[in-house]
Amino acid sequence: MLTTSERIAFVLIALASLLLTAHGVSRIVRAIARGQGRPTWGLFFRRVIPVSLDILLQRPIFRTRPLVSALHAGVFFAFVFYGLVNILDLAEGFTGFSTLHRGGIAALYNLIADLLSVAALVGMVGLLVRRFGLRPFRFNERVFLLPSVRFGISRDSAIVGGFILLHVGSRWVGQAVRIAESERADWSQPTASLVAALFHGWSEAALTTASHVTWWLALGLILAFLPYFPYSKHIHLFMAPLNLILREERPLGQLEPPTSSNGALGAERLEQLRWYQLLDGYACIMCNRCQDVCPAHGTGRALSPAALEINKRYYLNRNLGAFAGGATSPPLLEIATTKEAVWSCTTCAACVRICPVGNRPMLDLIDIRRALVNQGDPLDPNLQAALESLARYGNSFGKPARQRARWTKELPFPIKDARKEPVEYLWFVGDFASFDPRMQENTKIVAQLFHAAELDFGILYEDERNTGNDVRRVGEEGLFEMLVEQNLAALEKAQFRAIVTTDPHSYNALRNEYPAYGFQVPVYHYTELLADLLERGRLRVQQPLTAAVTYHDPCYLGRYNRITAAPRRILHALGLELREMPRHGENTYCCGAGGGRIWMDSGGQERPSEQRIREAVALGEDLRYFVVACPKDMAMYSDAVKTTGYEAQLTVIDVARLVAMAVGINGLERESISVTTEAP
Amino acid sequence: MTIVVVMEQVPDVVEELVIAPSGTDLDRDAVSYVINEYDDHALEEALLLAEATGDEVVAVGIDTTGELDQALYTALAKGARRAIKVTGDFEGAWLSTRAAAQLLVPVIKELDPRLVLTGVQAPDDLDGQLAPTLSALLGWPHASVVISSEIADGVVRARKELWAGITMTLELELPAVLGVQAARQAPRYVPISRVRQVMREASIETREVEPVGDLAPSLMRLRFPAETSQAEMLTGNASEIADRLIELLRARGLL
Repeated sequence: MLTTSERIAFVLIALASLLLTAHGVSRIVRAIARGQGRPTWGLFFRRVIPVSLDILLQRPIFRTRPLVSALHAGVFFAFVFYGLVNILDLAEGFTGFSTLHRGGIAALYNLIADLLSVAALVGMVGLLVRRFGLRPFRFNERVFLLPSVRFGISRDSAIVGGFILLHVGSRWVGQAVRIAESERADWSQPTASLVAALFHGWSEAALTTASHVTWWLALGLILAFLPYFPYSKHIHLFMAPLNLILREERPLGQLEPPTSSNGALGAERLEQLRWYQLLDGYACIMCNRCQDVCPAHGTGRALSPAALEINKRYYLNRNLGAFAGGATSPPLLEIATTKEAVWSCTTCAACVRICPVGNRPMLDLIDIRRALVNQGDPLDPNLQAALESLARYGNSFGKPARQRARWTKELPFPIKDARKEPVEYLWFVGDFASFDPRMQENTKIVAQLFHAAELDFGILYEDERNTGNDVRRVGEEGLFEMLVEQNLAALEKAQFRAIVTTDPHSYNALRNEYPAYGFQVPVYHYTELLADLLERGRLRVQQPLTAAVTYHDPCYLGRYNRITAAPRRILHALGLELREMPRHGENTYCCGAGGGRIWMDSGGQERPSEQRIREAVALGEDLRYFVVACPKDMAMYSDAVKTTGYEAQLTVIDVARLVAMAVGINGLERESISVTTEAP
Repeated sequence: MTIVVVMEQVPDVVEELVIAPSGTDLDRDAVSYVINEYDDHALEEALLLAEATGDEVVAVGIDTTGELDQALYTALAKGARRAIKVTGDFEGAWLSTRAAAQLLVPVIKELDPRLVLTGVQAPDDLDGQLAPTLSALLGWPHASVVISSEIADGVVRARKELWAGITMTLELELPAVLGVQAARQAPRYVPISRVRQVMREASIETREVEPVGDLAPSLMRLRFPAETSQAEMLTGNASEIADRLIELLRARGLL
């Protein structure tokens, strides 16, 4: 029990501490409220229970790094339970009430507290050893970091880690002292009882002093830490759940239109970001998982999604009073990231998917692009040429629209004009599949397969335009809208039941972006249709294939739209041996072409597609095919397999071509036979 | 002060050109128009000059296509302050360069600019006569094949390309006329939303003119260039290719 003067001191310090903390929290709330838009609070009531359950089970954290996640779970569970522990310890200090040596529920409480204290201490020591001993948190030298960040991350981690160790450790040792005072072990606190042996032979006075000191170190420390808490990464305790709960219900593949302030589109400055993008900074725990999966960072480019969030928070914390009070922030390109980083994003959404606290750094990058494009900032010349071509001809190839369906002339049968007669499936072919000479062969094969399966399908001929998926992600919203309008006008002329696309990017736009413009039609990817046609016997395998293959999930198919089973069903139906790369399914690695990157210069640096080919080659020398289901992948990997020198060993092939080989289409049977004989 | 940019629309050669049954014109229904590439560079150079000096850029064109608005709105969206189109009874005519210059001069005089920029050439002005003709009619100094320019101390310094990588810098008294080969930097991208906003908010001024005299050369027959021999791809190993190369060069008396 505390002395009267101790009690008065505690209450006074607590008041001061709470006031300071409230001041900090209110400034942060006002800073976040300067972001655009407002949360939908209705979501809170709907989501609070399911999201809390997710968090209690630590699901978002266990997506990767199992060992580190287990250490975190120890600290996390202890912290949740310590809410109760701290209240009871407070009551003990003020009233003398004690759970020591009691049976029943009190014993259970003590047991849990005892074990979780150890879990927290082990977890925290493990995490600190990792952070300061193994130093896994590095940024490549091109990543922009605010000067305050370089030292700040370590200091913040040391303070938070030290606080947890001291707080939990003092409470644990304090229990040991109290057990020693009682002169007998408490079976419900096995570890504290062991520590109590250390105090064997201490005088009563010494033990009383130790009891007071440990109490103050456990609970008084909270008061000392509390005012710092809002500015520390520890605030993720509240901000992360809030971020996950209030996240608006929108498919990953659908962007919000750009924010507009005084006619300026996108985000040039902090206050032009949306409220949740500011919240992201405070939810970030600096775990760098996003950076680990980022294909831009992975190939040495200046982009680190983690650094972006960390910079945002450090800038805000350093200028919180002014910003919360309405001061204009400097441009994001001076405080958060660089132009090079912004333009190296492939919008693969790996960072969004992996983030345990629900952050979406990719959206910031797109919003900065929107601002740059709108201000007329000079663009990569190839990108500019692509956009100008898209505006003029509806494709990025600089070819007249009239040539879009030229590939159909080389087919032995006509393809229905969906504008003139009703069809069951409208095939939205896409730019690369229509115009790129390397892709046209595959496109003809897909047409032959559809034809052989007697599918009722047609195309829009010269009225099809690029869907604008990547145009939107480049930040050219006006051009995106124009392409949507043109496509909708063309689609309106046609009668069909569903759409099938070749390109996952078209798929994503038609499936997720176009509904916002009133277009609601079932959309399928051609792999879904081919899988179905094979399984229902409308395409029959004449000659099973026996090669070992691997399959690359396109970001916009596998991660964005979770279509991972259909292509694998096809490979299975053809009899191929599928070997998975370590990164597959929703966890796939980007080829580097998305978000308009395919139109930009790679700057002579290593490309993600080259890393990916090496990942495939590591699956075995007998791996024969690198199977793709995206025309852009075909382009990227056909290049990468050459530049990495594996062209003789590994063939990049579209899944449709494999189907054609197995079912026997258009003279490809012979090729299939040679495969079967060569395969081991 | 004012900088005038003269712009012209030309058939887009990316699209397939079709000769009309008359044999003396393109099939106008099949033609789509783009801004003459060099005029686009002239506009960029003008905008760069104006950004440095605070001048006002005015885009001027003769509407022979009925679609000039599109090009002028784009110019406004890029940063021109005013846009003027000269209209009259010459839609569908291939104006001669001299006639075009004569139609433009009154508008230029009205604007009283200190500089006039236009593309060094155009598909219908391959010998680059527009800039010199304007300069002669206006009585102002002129430089063509300009690749960068600067207004300072009451003169314009224009760097023009000669040959073999040699350039020379001329100092011209203002007002002057420049035929631009290339702007200092690639013509800027203008976001579609800005063009659409300009189309809603800005307007294009019109100068109706009564053309006199011969506007266009009379065409006897229009035809596509006769296809000449195809390129030959040399195949085989290095020494086979080398042998074949030597053989080809010998056959032409070059070795």
